[in-house]
Amino acid sequence: MSIHNYCDGMKRRDFIRVGSLATGSFTLANYLRMAEAGQVKDGNATSGIFIDLSGGPSHLDTFDPKPEAPEGIRGDFKTIPTCVSGIQISEHLPKMAKNLDKYVILRGVSHTLAAHNLGSEYVNTGSRPLASLEYPGYGAVLCKERPVDSDIPAFVAIPNSGQRSGFLGIQYAPLNTGASPQAGKPFNVRGISLGAGVTVEQLDRRQNLLKDLDHTFASMENRDQLLTGLDRFSDKAYSMLTSERARYAFDVSKEDATFAAQFGTDSFEQSCLLAVRLIESGVRFVSLRVGGWDNHTDIFNNLSTKLLPKLDGGVSALLMGLEQKGLLSSTSVMVTGEFGRTPKVNTRATLGGRDHYPRCMFMLMAGGKIRGGQVIGQSDETASGPANDAITPSDAAASFYHNLGIDPKQEFQTETGRPIMLVRDGNIIPQLFA
Amino acid sequence: MSKIGILSTVTITMHTTKITTNTTMHTTIRTTKKSVFVLALKQSFLAIALLLGCLMPVLAEAPLASLEARFKPNAQGIAETTEVPDFQRHVSPLLGRMGCNGRACHGSFQGQGGFTLSLFGYDFDSDHKALLDQDAGRVDTKDPLVSLILTKPVDADLHEGGQRFKKDGWEYWVLRKWIEAGAPKSTNAAKSENQKLVRLDVSPLEIQFESRDKNQNLRAIAFWEDGTKEDVTSLCRFSSNDTSIANIDEKGNVTSGEVGDTHVVVSYDSAVVPVSVMRPVGVPGQLRQQIANSKTEIDRLVLRKLDKLGILPSGNATDAEFFRRVSLDVAGTLPTSDQVRQFLDDSTPDKRSKMIETLLASPGYAAWWTTFLCDMTGNNDDQLRNFSPLAQNSSQHWYQWIYARVAANVPYDKIVEGIVTAVSREPDESYAEYCEKMTEINVDKTGKSYADRSGLMYYWARTNQRTAEERAISFAYAFCGVRIQCAQCHKHPFDQWSKQDFDQFERLFDGVTANQNSYMPESKEDVDKMLTDLGLVKSLKGNDLRKKLEEVIRDGKTVPFPEMYVRLSKIPDSKAKDKKDKEKNAKKIAAAQKKYPVARLLGAEFVDLSTVSDPRVPLMEWLRRKDNPYFAKAIVNRVWAHYFQVGIVNPADDLNLANAPSNAELLDYLASGFIETGYDLKWLHRTILNTETYQRSWTTNQTNQLDRRNFSHSLLRRLPAETAYDALRIALSNDKEAQSICALESDRAMTMPGASAQNKNGKNGASNYALTVFGRSIRESNCDCDKSSDPSLLQTVFIRNDSDVLKAMNDPKFSWLAQVAKEHNLTPIRTNSDTPEPKQMQKASVSRTSEDYDRDIRKYRKQLQMLENKEGSEKTIRDVKSRLALAEKRLQELTLAKDKSSNSEPQSEPVYLSNLSSKSEVRLSDEVSTKIVEEIYLRTLSRKPTSVEMETSQKAIAVAETPLNGISDVLWAVINTKEFILNH
Repeated sequence: MSIHNYCDGMKRRDFIRVGSLATGSFTLANYLRMAEAGQVKDGNATSGIFIDLSGGPSHLDTFDPKPEAPEGIRGDFKTIPTCVSGIQISEHLPKMAKNLDKYVILRGVSHTLAAHNLGSEYVNTGSRPLASLEYPGYGAVLCKERPVDSDIPAFVAIPNSGQRSGFLGIQYAPLNTGASPQAGKPFNVRGISLGAGVTVEQLDRRQNLLKDLDHTFASMENRDQLLTGLDRFSDKAYSMLTSERARYAFDVSKEDATFAAQFGTDSFEQSCLLAVRLIESGVRFVSLRVGGWDNHTDIFNNLSTKLLPKLDGGVSALLMGLEQKGLLSSTSVMVTGEFGRTPKVNTRATLGGRDHYPRCMFMLMAGGKIRGGQVIGQSDETASGPANDAITPSDAAASFYHNLGIDPKQEFQTETGRPIMLVRDGNIIPQLFA
Repeated sequence: MSKIGILSTVTITMHTTKITTNTTMHTTIRTTKKSVFVLALKQSFLAIALLLGCLMPVLAEAPLASLEARFKPNAQGIAETTEVPDFQRHVSPLLGRMGCNGRACHGSFQGQGGFTLSLFGYDFDSDHKALLDQDAGRVDTKDPLVSLILTKPVDADLHEGGQRFKKDGWEYWVLRKWIEAGAPKSTNAAKSENQKLVRLDVSPLEIQFESRDKNQNLRAIAFWEDGTKEDVTSLCRFSSNDTSIANIDEKGNVTSGEVGDTHVVVSYDSAVVPVSVMRPVGVPGQLRQQIANSKTEIDRLVLRKLDKLGILPSGNATDAEFFRRVSLDVAGTLPTSDQVRQFLDDSTPDKRSKMIETLLASPGYAAWWTTFLCDMTGNNDDQLRNFSPLAQNSSQHWYQWIYARVAANVPYDKIVEGIVTAVSREPDESYAEYCEKMTEINVDKTGKSYADRSGLMYYWARTNQRTAEERAISFAYAFCGVRIQCAQCHKHPFDQWSKQDFDQFERLFDGVTANQNSYMPESKEDVDKMLTDLGLVKSLKGNDLRKKLEEVIRDGKTVPFPEMYVRLSKIPDSKAKDKKDKEKNAKKIAAAQKKYPVARLLGAEFVDLSTVSDPRVPLMEWLRRKDNPYFAKAIVNRVWAHYFQVGIVNPADDLNLANAPSNAELLDYLASGFIETGYDLKWLHRTILNTETYQRSWTTNQTNQLDRRNFSHSLLRRLPAETAYDALRIALSNDKEAQSICALESDRAMTMPGASAQNKNGKNGASNYALTVFGRSIRESNCDCDKSSDPSLLQTVFIRNDSDVLKAMNDPKFSWLAQVAKEHNLTPIRTNSDTPEPKQMQKASVSRTSEDYDRDIRKYRKQLQMLENKEGSEKTIRDVKSRLALAEKRLQELTLAKDKSSNSEPQSEPVYLSNLSSKSEVRLSDEVSTKIVEEIYLRTLSRKPTSVEMETSQKAIAVAETPLNGISDVLWAVINTKEFILNH
């Protein structure tokens, strides 16, 4: 139900309006200035990878260290230099330090949602959650905007995802692998690999039989959307199930040994390998999730022995792998948790931890037209908040979409006919593309 | 507003009479009033007298001509009138009509070009202020001609929004004259309040077109409270609900398009009036006989509408179609093959009605409609996690509370009352007694005894429903089917609600308190005492305390429970004794009343919050009133939508003025019948299900094949998630198991209490995946669209190839295939579920390595060391010790297994052994295979196979490697047909 047929052609102008009201360096005005000067490249990445560090990783102990901060804040870790002079990160991220030229660290990212599910919904959609509406995640949007019409699923989540399809509808929901691959072993994915004892020949036979039997609605087949849709899905499911391509893509054990060796044996690192394979074979969007970051206690042991090694190995290998396969320039990558963690180390337990802290966090972005090797944004001395202008998850989302060639101000209609801007309050971060 | 409602009803009733008596009149365009007159003349003097009586006052005093006429410039381009336009009546709607306050223009929350109007208007104060803002220069009363609202809209270059009117046009003069008069907010200086629009008369209210590209002008007359009336056609906003059927331009000129029916909508001030537009598909008037013969009122009303449209309804569904449809719809359950056989063989003439009664009495009915009400009221585990100390039980309590009532057919208004006016304590129950009772309820895992409580407090305790706004939105959604949320920020574009209406409605939800720490002030002492008695230190708070309480409660000890209660902040007593106090109090009262300006029922009267202790009580009284425009309609419409795929108002949860019902009389009939029977839900179901309309076939004819809103045939629809998942299980299980699933003796998808958006692998992990894929309601965003019946690729893949389905199909113990193999002595199909499963197949993510166990063992040992000398840690030590032992055992097993596998051959891929089994296996006799194929069809599609299907299936069985392989192929194919997943 459209109520106004007036003011058409205003969407473009909306764009300007939002910018001119915002302040600071992450503004659209700034973006437009730089764009005018030819300094901002238009995104044209065709696929995306989102890595969800579920639980909320500490920013201080990873990509935004504060070695000069007082004890009780700076934490147990030392810092190391990176391949970009002047930028230091945690000592437990040596591989990421070496590869900083491939990605950007966003510091001083800030929001106000300190609960896991709200924060997660925010960073997975780019719009602050509303009670009345569920925003779609990045993967669902990309799949809607750039459908894949082939024998491969469009959106895969390893093993599952905080990204839901929201008001776009369940047809854009991800295929959850439900499990993570293990090094050198064939990986069977729910729905994709042929189930218990079923062979391709048998499936062929069954599909033919199905075609012979499925005639009840033949008289109205072309007139009913539901019937047409079901038929289309039937054909697609069949080609996906019988396709060598899909099964091959999911099977990490088929990867070239030298290439695979860059990825460690940890299941997250193997998931990163799988993500690269899936993107290579034409999957539009891969969402990875690795949990364990909710370190209220014993944070330093957890980070140094478990979490950071796999993050370091997995993400660096993913970026290197994408580059080696020539995919980094066409893949937009984003790594984030739902929030950062309190600067102050708590003392509730013998081995302290840090608590939820949305006011200050980090994000990583890479691929597409993003110029790696830089830090954008800054947190204050104790990493308690942004030093100057805050970057919001909405800004990051707008940039992520921009990198994918999707206008973050684009409008969608919900099922109730309500017009919704893709990213409600975000501005593209111009420096990313400079 | 209500008067508009009454008026349109009157007109419609008249018009209906016309159809039955006067069908010969075929002018190109028929307008209501014309035909009413013709009819009146033909009929009786009484009717004339009545009609003239109604119409006389209108005729006696003609309304003020339109602004367009009054401000029409003369030949010199000058409007000569001395009239000063009124801001509310003229200026503001004019700006609205020109699109100035649209979303993309100045109605945007950020404004446009430094000028912001309220979105869709109706915030006269702020709009007037914005216009007169000196800095913005929109209106300059000193130098009217430089006012931007005069210079910009006429100039496409200057104005980003383009040219909106011509210089020297009447619009220009309206604005100019207003500014020249000083741009007053109100022409009546004494009144600062908004003027009240009594009603907006639109004529005609119903348009019938006979062909494409015909036109009809609408006219709108505004009736104001002060008795004035005015032609406001040129100030209205017009829109069409379906532009393919009817288009409407900004002047109110309707143009016909495709055949079908829809509404165009006229909005002015607070009024929103839908006008029905119809272009018949076939020849109207063919159903007279059928209408006269129809056995039920529903059929009669549906046929009448169809007849107007010239649509012929489909015939009666077959018994088999009816039985499958009604079982799935009423009880969410696929019938077993035995039940189908019995029903088909039954020759009693009223077997359909009897079956309806049987189903309404079945546990499936109670479970399915409980799920339905849980969807509607938002029973969501994620949102209940922070209330009760035993959070996981809350959604179970919610489910059981509703289940007991649905099963006992408690009147709908009583159920809703228990939710709306819920408080945690029963009358006269002390806090201690409440806690005792709640502890008792929580110890029993089924949570069934929660149903004995009179109120469902959890409804108010959800984390995403903590503010008055959120509560107002979800209340309006659940019990009124109204999407009030638009008005939270701006005038509702399709309804009467203004932001002020929302703010006043929201006040009724103030003071409702329900969270983890909410105890009534007078209970605090008891709480502290209980905690002390339990030996819990005071420093324990929040989640830590809750965890501790959870442990205590498992030992059966009574713990403090949070309370759900209502307490409004006190407004001081105005009956003070001496004068001084009185003055002081007056100030306080004023302050308090400012805080709670005014609470108001939706579209009804104000509630004085100082006189009620719980505003939800008058709210409930309002719901229950016979003239409540929403309460009964919302539920009957939702139930109807469940049975017909579309609501009479569609979407079913959007009862706004612009979204007019496709058959208003039908909705009225159902709603008033429902109220008259005392909100009897089973009456509602029974009444709908026993109609020909419900029992029609899905096959269509030339006239009704495109109909999706007038119930001329049964629409194909995908099974709801819960029903689909359960239907698969029933179809694939052996007879005994299927029967137990049907009788709800085993767990069902529709007995899962809570829901949430997260796809968790909790207690119901296996079915959760399927239910998510099939779009079970996430119960989160106050929208019926939280559940989905759209098809998706993953659903198709699920039925074709998911391990859950294949396992259910081949299960050696519970599957029907295994039963067949046994009965006919066939070689069972061996799948890798019989062979030891390669670990990574199923649970790669959770399979743990020896390093993991090694690490655990070290961790536990360290823990034990630390705990050794601590007091009071015996229990923990025991716990850690047992975990340590387990880890050690697992490590040992793993090491053994490793040794073994390194000695043996590497595991080969699982083989489909039946392919290798002897080809010499006995073929099935024709008789047996006929029986088996028939059984497959009965247990999946609830019908017998056609001869072609029988032949194809038998052939498939005959040529397969083994008979059982063939049978499984047929079963697989049939559950993958569209017919299986669709209700039809």
